[in-house]
Amino acid sequence: MKRKALGLFLGICALALTVAPSGHAFDFTQVEEKVVEHTLDNGLTLLIMPRHDAPVASFVTWANVGSADDPKGYTGLAHMFEHMAFKGTRTLGTKDIEAELKAIAKEDSIFMELRAERNKGLLADSARLVELEEAYNEAREASYQLVVPNEFGNVVEREGGVGLNAFTAYDQTAYFFSLPSNKVELWMALESERFLNPVLREMYKERDVVAEERRMRTESNPIGRAIEEFLALAYKAHPYGVPGIGHMSDIQYYSRKEAKAFFDKYYGPSNLTIAVVGDVKPKDVIKLAEEYWGRIPYRPAPERIATVEPEQLGERRMVLEDPAQPVYLVGWHVPQIIHPDRVAVDMLMEHLGQGRTSILYETMVKEKKMAMQVGGFSGFPGNKYPGMAMVYALPAQGHDNYECEEEIFTAIERVKEELVSQEDLEKMRARAKASFINSIASNTGIAMQLCEAQQYYGDWREMFRQLDKINAVTAEDIQRVANEYLTEKNRVVVMMNTTQS
Amino acid sequence: MKRSIVLLMIGAAMLSLGAIAVSAQHVDKLEYPQLNKLEIPEVDKVTLENGMRLYILEDNALPIFRASVRINVGSHLEPADKIGLASMTGTVLRTGGTTKWTGDEIDEMLEGIGGSVETSIGRLSGGASVNVLSEYTDLGLEVLAEILRNPTFDEDKVELAKVTERSAISRRNDDPMDIAMREFRKVIYGPESVYARHTEYKTVNAVTRDDMVAFHEQWFHPENIQIAVWGAFDKDEIVQKIKQYFADWPKGNVEVPAAPEVDYEFDRHVYYAEKTDVNQSNVMVGHIGGMVTDPDYADRIVMNSIFGGGFGSRLFNQVRSKEGLAYATFGSYTANITHPGLCIGFASTKSETTGKAVNEIVKQMERMQTDPPTEDEMRMGKDGYLNSFVFNFDTRSEVVNRLMNYDFHNLPEDFLVQEKEKVEKVTAEDVVAAAKANLHPDQLRVLLVGNKADFDVQPEEMGMGPVTEIDITIPSGEEKQELAITPENLAKGQEMLARAAEAHGGVANFTAIKSMSVNGTMTVSTPQGEFPIPVESVEVLPDKSYTVATMMGQKMYDIRDGSKGWKTIAPGTIGEKTEEDILQAKESQRRDLVMIFSHLNDDPYYQAVYEGSGQLEGQEVEWVALVDQQEETITRIAIDPATNQVVGQSYWGSGMMGGEGTIVAAYSEFTEAGGVTLPSKTVRTMDGQKMSVMEVSEVTINGDVSADLFTKPTM
Repeated sequence: MKRKALGLFLGICALALTVAPSGHAFDFTQVEEKVVEHTLDNGLTLLIMPRHDAPVASFVTWANVGSADDPKGYTGLAHMFEHMAFKGTRTLGTKDIEAELKAIAKEDSIFMELRAERNKGLLADSARLVELEEAYNEAREASYQLVVPNEFGNVVEREGGVGLNAFTAYDQTAYFFSLPSNKVELWMALESERFLNPVLREMYKERDVVAEERRMRTESNPIGRAIEEFLALAYKAHPYGVPGIGHMSDIQYYSRKEAKAFFDKYYGPSNLTIAVVGDVKPKDVIKLAEEYWGRIPYRPAPERIATVEPEQLGERRMVLEDPAQPVYLVGWHVPQIIHPDRVAVDMLMEHLGQGRTSILYETMVKEKKMAMQVGGFSGFPGNKYPGMAMVYALPAQGHDNYECEEEIFTAIERVKEELVSQEDLEKMRARAKASFINSIASNTGIAMQLCEAQQYYGDWREMFRQLDKINAVTAEDIQRVANEYLTEKNRVVVMMNTTQS
Repeated sequence: MKRSIVLLMIGAAMLSLGAIAVSAQHVDKLEYPQLNKLEIPEVDKVTLENGMRLYILEDNALPIFRASVRINVGSHLEPADKIGLASMTGTVLRTGGTTKWTGDEIDEMLEGIGGSVETSIGRLSGGASVNVLSEYTDLGLEVLAEILRNPTFDEDKVELAKVTERSAISRRNDDPMDIAMREFRKVIYGPESVYARHTEYKTVNAVTRDDMVAFHEQWFHPENIQIAVWGAFDKDEIVQKIKQYFADWPKGNVEVPAAPEVDYEFDRHVYYAEKTDVNQSNVMVGHIGGMVTDPDYADRIVMNSIFGGGFGSRLFNQVRSKEGLAYATFGSYTANITHPGLCIGFASTKSETTGKAVNEIVKQMERMQTDPPTEDEMRMGKDGYLNSFVFNFDTRSEVVNRLMNYDFHNLPEDFLVQEKEKVEKVTAEDVVAAAKANLHPDQLRVLLVGNKADFDVQPEEMGMGPVTEIDITIPSGEEKQELAITPENLAKGQEMLARAAEAHGGVANFTAIKSMSVNGTMTVSTPQGEFPIPVESVEVLPDKSYTVATMMGQKMYDIRDGSKGWKTIAPGTIGEKTEEDILQAKESQRRDLVMIFSHLNDDPYYQAVYEGSGQLEGQEVEWVALVDQQEETITRIAIDPATNQVVGQSYWGSGMMGGEGTIVAAYSEFTEAGGVTLPSKTVRTMDGQKMSVMEVSEVTINGDVSADLFTKPTM
């Protein structure tokens, strides 16, 4: 197989030489030089990259806080806050702020009473519970009467905003949309306002929405179920083991008080990066940012998580029975993204499980037809702290997790014993280059990458250093990290087998 | 905690110092600079002499070359008993290689340069895409041309596509939202409609490589193909290059039939698909939708946005924000160019609020007809569309692909701009009129996917019409042959089987068999080659059996004692047999020659039905079907008319490497033991692929058997 590949590879090189290359050495420094960085006095980092292809611009607010920062007993709170950030401010989303704040205060106090009663568990007074539930529902409706629903989103959309959304990951929370590029000020005004002084209105209704999100993503979805078990098994100390969406009982427990405290702690300007990419002038953007984002007072950066996942003492394995078709997950603990080994680990996982010529695809899908899908990647569920390098497989009809596991382990032994060939190394380099060039074709894509590099490395320029790092990795490096990390002792396995009816 | 309260107070103090307070009013007063002019890039159109149409857009911003191909082909062209032919042809086109390269070589080449060429065939069109760095433009084009013009549909990749499709079928009920999307199309368009139908094991199994070759030959001609290219190149040069690869492709002369029309009669009906392992229902409510060319299409753009588009739509506000019933909810009256779209209101809600969610969606649909949009809603629906119009042109790919699509359907090039001008004139009254003309809240079909044991309202009590339960159980791929069971066929079948029993030693000798021990070697065919496995088995009739196979030094057990049993589930681990295992064992025992002959006269254990003469592995045989009391075929027996011996069987079963199919067992090398003659060699194939060869070296009838064999083995 590999010898044939070499022949082909030489063929391609020859072909490339015979064709006059139209854009051979693409100059990344040109792109890098366009990026403008600016820090406001309150500590907020602003990244701007002008791109004048079309009169549009994309905007990202990137908060260095994620599900891993959820307080104990309040799992899912980072994600809950993300939902609340769409609920408006003192001036957006209300019919009468003074009356509304009173109604909200009442809602809170009744909920706290209800929560205290519920918390007595079996000892709770059932009559009192009914009474409180009623009062709570009334209070929710009363405060809802004063709400202008989804006004924030409405304004964005009617002004021509597209792609309005947000995500909460273990490492970060990001908010984004795009606008016609003459409306930079609109974004500045709306976006800074919601992080200046958000009103967490409709909190108790929105909790029900989040509960439905949990039912959809996790409880009624077999792969969701498997992943939640996997992370719980992989981490006994670090919060990467806790579900990002939150446990159902926690979702139904938290109050506005905890959400607000979370905001105060983690959404200070020094913990935020904003990026603007598109048909804009950096000077104008900076001026507007000073005016709008400058309103937010300085707050010190929050403390980071000190908990370190202890070294695993032996393989952890869980076998689930489920009505769904089989799912196989295996992961190994690997270092965080800024660790010098990680580039080699990422390449190792790519070599194992990305693309039609990866080891696992070739053997398990093409040759043996035992898997419908197989893949490998790293940095799950996050990159800020040590995460997992993963391999997953969906066995083909009539095949099972045990067969797939055996094949995966055989492949792992192979990468420990054999060096990655030079042509496979070249292939990964070529793919990295092509995928980087493709990724800088979209405003939103660039904005997200800038923010991500700024968060993980403290320097957005790292976005442009990745290719050099990949080019520096040798076959020996990949073999070394395979032997160091992909060990039995360091491994976590979850297999979901189909319940026999 | 204390610190954050202090900070909060500072924050509040800052705010009261007269900083800007951003409200909706403030936003309305913002003055924006003039938007830089939107340069809608010019696309060059070229038609080659063979009818292939090209759309060219030069863009030198990044060193990339992209192509997108539209092929006038689709799954509406495949026969109903081969559903999956079109989509699998779309897959194997790319994976199955060409006359110049194998599919695996193409994989190596493309991944070696970080590029991709992909193909697919959908319901109404086929597509291909090329994405390479511009230094590899020639390679990308050559691969594309090879794939479209000279695909070889390698047999192994045909099999891979079928395995993948069968696996997808086996998984199609795992995610409840997938079930809802699939079944709703069937509820509206009809289960047989080309706009809704989907693969089954049977239709996938029926597809062959020859079908793919023929499908490609029939529909892939240059006049049916459009290619859009954009990226870093010189316009004239790229046309020359495309000509180099495609100009000598001769024109075909096949008229591609248009997709069929849709027949729809409005009615009220509830469809319920049970899924018990979820705590959330997927609710879809709606009826047939419209066409893009309808005169009120622009009114409906605004209507959709207000009904169930984004943030601030009525469904989002009511179902999600106000009632907290769902995270995912949307609604739309969709339109297509060639056939009507779907009108759909959707929510996924906990089982206990299923009825409430249905109600709420219907209510919002009704309100579209009765409550005119407010000023804010009109701004969201109308201004939103107009203000974001520029995003229709912000990437080259959208511009050139849209043009290609319009051209195919003979829509004017500026169709979108015309629609925009119409949207500018839409009034609140127009929206109400469009809702009245198009929405039918009193004539809805409701689909519920979930667990009705936990519903707040039972489907029958929803007041939404009669209820039909949809069985989503995945049908096996078994080909049910219409068997004519007549007194004549029964008599002839019974007679032939009796003669066969005689030829094998006589019924009396078979009924005398109490136990049977067999030693031999089973050679299993796998993609990695053939593996001989020593096998020992002991059977005590009627229901005890013991088999041990030795694989790579590991003993694999399979033991049954009546309705209990044990088997090796992983190397060194014994587990209990499941009910399914026991059932399978009983079924396979019913096909055993010893069982068949010893029960020959125990009517109605088996009934033998003569089917007619035919062939088995090139040999002339007489076929006799054995059917059970339910007239289900157990197996089909092939009898050599010259010797009256049974030379094989054909039945539906599971393969060694998984999957189900028609298994043919061919018998040879007959030897005698204990008064009966049985085959020493059995060659099994599944759907024509070699599966295993069993060679018996030793048979003992009614020998000593230890009773301990039929218990859980100790490791």
